[in-house]
Amino acid sequence: MTQPFQHARVQRATPSSRIAMSLCVIVLVGLVTMPWWASSGNIRWAIELSCYLAIAQMWNLLAGYAGLVSVGQQAFIGVAGYMLFVLAQNFGVNPFVAVILSLIAPAVLAVPTYLLLRRLDGPYFAIGTWVVAEAVRLATSNIDYLNAGAGLTLRVMTQYSQHEREVAFVILCALLLVATIGGSYWLLRSRIGLALTAMRDNPVAAASQGVNVGRLRFAIFIAAAVGTGFAGAIYYMAQLRITPAAGFDPFWASMSIFIVMVGGIGAIEGAIVGALIYFFADRLFGEYGSAYLIVLGLLTLIIALYARGGVWGLLQKLGDHPWFPVQRKLVLEDKR
Amino acid sequence: MPDRKILVAEGLTKRFGAVTVVDDVSFSVAAGEVLGILGPNGAGKTTLFNLISGDLAANGGELSLDGSRLSAEPPYRRCQRGIGRTYQVPQPFGAMTAFENLLVPAMMSAHLRETEAYDHCAQVLRDCGLWDHANTPAGSLTLLNRKRLELARALAGKPKLLLLDEIAGGLTDAEGAELVALIRRVRDQGVTIIWIEHVLHALMAVADRILVLNFGAKIAEGAPDEVMQNPEVQRVYMGIEA
Repeated sequence: MTQPFQHARVQRATPSSRIAMSLCVIVLVGLVTMPWWASSGNIRWAIELSCYLAIAQMWNLLAGYAGLVSVGQQAFIGVAGYMLFVLAQNFGVNPFVAVILSLIAPAVLAVPTYLLLRRLDGPYFAIGTWVVAEAVRLATSNIDYLNAGAGLTLRVMTQYSQHEREVAFVILCALLLVATIGGSYWLLRSRIGLALTAMRDNPVAAASQGVNVGRLRFAIFIAAAVGTGFAGAIYYMAQLRITPAAGFDPFWASMSIFIVMVGGIGAIEGAIVGALIYFFADRLFGEYGSAYLIVLGLLTLIIALYARGGVWGLLQKLGDHPWFPVQRKLVLEDKR
Repeated sequence: MPDRKILVAEGLTKRFGAVTVVDDVSFSVAAGEVLGILGPNGAGKTTLFNLISGDLAANGGELSLDGSRLSAEPPYRRCQRGIGRTYQVPQPFGAMTAFENLLVPAMMSAHLRETEAYDHCAQVLRDCGLWDHANTPAGSLTLLNRKRLELARALAGKPKLLLLDEIAGGLTDAEGAELVALIRRVRDQGVTIIWIEHVLHALMAVADRILVLNFGAKIAEGAPDEVMQNPEVQRVYMGIEA
């Protein structure tokens, strides 16, 4: 071989990513300080949007990178929500601490779910996840301890003032966004992210290049379940009430699919763009009911047929300005 | 030629339903050796590679690498144990750049640290003539460069056994000569190579031994000249009737 190459330079950050990082810090500071400058209505919106962003990001990690298309992520939202309500209401655990403890439930549910479904491919895996979610919903509906189909109410929250609750919620939301979006970014920039991206592009070739595809999928499935459960716990804590019909609502899966498909699958930015589109479309056009849902469905169909990269993919065609660059670009002028 | 056997295959068999595509094939490859594999289309050459790399599970037989059993190992583990391979139809990570394609085996198989992997992959890119395409998404590369990338990616994992599946197809004479020179350099570094190839002059220029398959069964094995004089090989591979 020729003279060994030394000190290859690799560029990872871009001007656009530096701007995006600064904006992220500003958004997080803005979010955490909301109780001092925003109305309660706007804080509720922020909580909801944070949950949508987190759930979509986790689904993007799952489907966009690990190739695991799940339509049963609501199972993890529901079990985390229920565990939070039980810990706080029945066991007297501080509800804000219980949010963190409730993450055990989705992790524990994810292990047997994955082991049960891992041999199924594509649509069979997707249907399997839906079946698991439905089974958990039905089981929850029949457990008297969980007040069966009537659900649970988080009465312990009345011991906190509205301001205290709002402060805790925005801090939890900031943690949620850092854990899910920041965590995804950190993961995708790491050695594991390289393997994940290879797996996304070609799982068979990735395995022949040293990537343990099975273990990585397992780890991502659990991580996505925990991230999704975290969002679910915060969402239902803010609602103060959970029922099997709401906690395990398949709407969560359709929402994730819409956000990621329209925003752009396999890109952190795609899930963010998609969540923003969904959130504001819901606020602006939600009152039109079924007509609005038909338009959302048609939009997903059009994107799937004509713009596989989603809105983010279209934006990237105008100029390569990633917000969260995960690539490793070799600086070519060094040596030939 | 050194005697230490890197790969030993005994009675390898693969069936798809009633069709036996690899039929009780046994062979071994010594460290530093280049073994060429010939055979008409459908002879089972690529299937044999798939059995070695673990992409397919054998129905029978045993494989060992460096003296320890390989048969039960999954593909990623075989790669980590030192088996690098190229695919006959290039299988790049399409959205990743050529450089990132190389980083995958360098970091996941050879377990190089990030900065070591950068240096190693930059060098492999340069050696394989892909330097100018380092930051090009692999899916956008020409077929020729995708073939180069297959070889580069296999080398990036620092293999001790390299499986090359028809990488000389479609190359000009000059490119073929470059490829032969590169493979010789790889071999001189101590890498053992098994090479499936229809471009005979390229294969003959490097191979120490040739193994010929027909309908999944081994019909000849030995020194290149000796094998090419074999009437059975001439009949099935070149269509020359005695």
